[in-house]
Amino acid sequence: MLSKVITISALVTFSASAHEMTPAYPEVKVSHVKNVVKVEMSLFNSREEIKYYQIDLFDLNWMNIPFSSTYRIIKIGYKEHKSFDVYIRERDMPEAVYLCTTSKVRKTNQSRTLISSRICSRLDGEPA
Amino acid sequence: MKYSIAILSLVAFPALANVQITGSVEAKCVIQTTKAGSYGNPIASKLSTTPADGGVLPIIRYDVSIADAYTANITHPTSFSSSPPLTDTVAWTGSTSVTQTSVSGMSAYEAAKVVVDNTTIFDLTLAGSTWFSTASSAVYGAAKPLPGGTYTAVVQASCIAK
Repeated sequence: MLSKVITISALVTFSASAHEMTPAYPEVKVSHVKNVVKVEMSLFNSREEIKYYQIDLFDLNWMNIPFSSTYRIIKIGYKEHKSFDVYIRERDMPEAVYLCTTSKVRKTNQSRTLISSRICSRLDGEPA
Repeated sequence: MKYSIAILSLVAFPALANVQITGSVEAKCVIQTTKAGSYGNPIASKLSTTPADGGVLPIIRYDVSIADAYTANITHPTSFSSSPPLTDTVAWTGSTSVTQTSVSGMSAYEAAKVVVDNTTIFDLTLAGSTWFSTASSAVYGAAKPLPGGTYTAVVQASCIAK
């Protein structure tokens, strides 16, 4: 009983500061631009101290791959959902693996560690 | 007329009763910053998040909805993101450990973790929540006192789809 109470308390207490991005394995769709595909992503921010997230696209060795999006750095409010599309050239798709969002931390006037969160989805499909 | 409306409304209501609620469970990772750490200054040349040194360990919680879909890659700092001007080198050490789990089987994560340079990788093979803490320590060169001011370093917590 006590452990259940602790677990529930922990969930209630700690759920206030989170970074979430879905889907983990996005579907690659055709776009309105020739030879360019798009993936549709959704971001949720409940980290009160974070207002900006950066989008990055990497290959398997974490080298950057070019892409286009309305926002390279997304401004997103506290407890706000935002959907965004990422456009990738078809010729870059064989190399594109990780699509990530990374929180941008702000400078503080306290001696502390800041936590930058990064969530990466995979564009090369679910593991077999 | 009133009776007709009443009867019609009674007839119409059952049609509203069958409303479906649909949902799906998909692979999802949520990174929760449970506690931001802070540096203690036990001696003039050292900053440390270890509680014994007066610091606070940062705690990060990972929630995964599907087993075996993500890895948690946590990188402890090797430089200050902001500090007063430093003229000597800083020796950094750090480590990341599992501190709490929602499923007993997750306790195996600690033994199975892989450390590559300053990044610790945990294979999240079970669905549920795992709490990690990251220790970070910085010692200023040749035991020099650190200049007065504010020091900030960044822990990078990544959740990467497998």
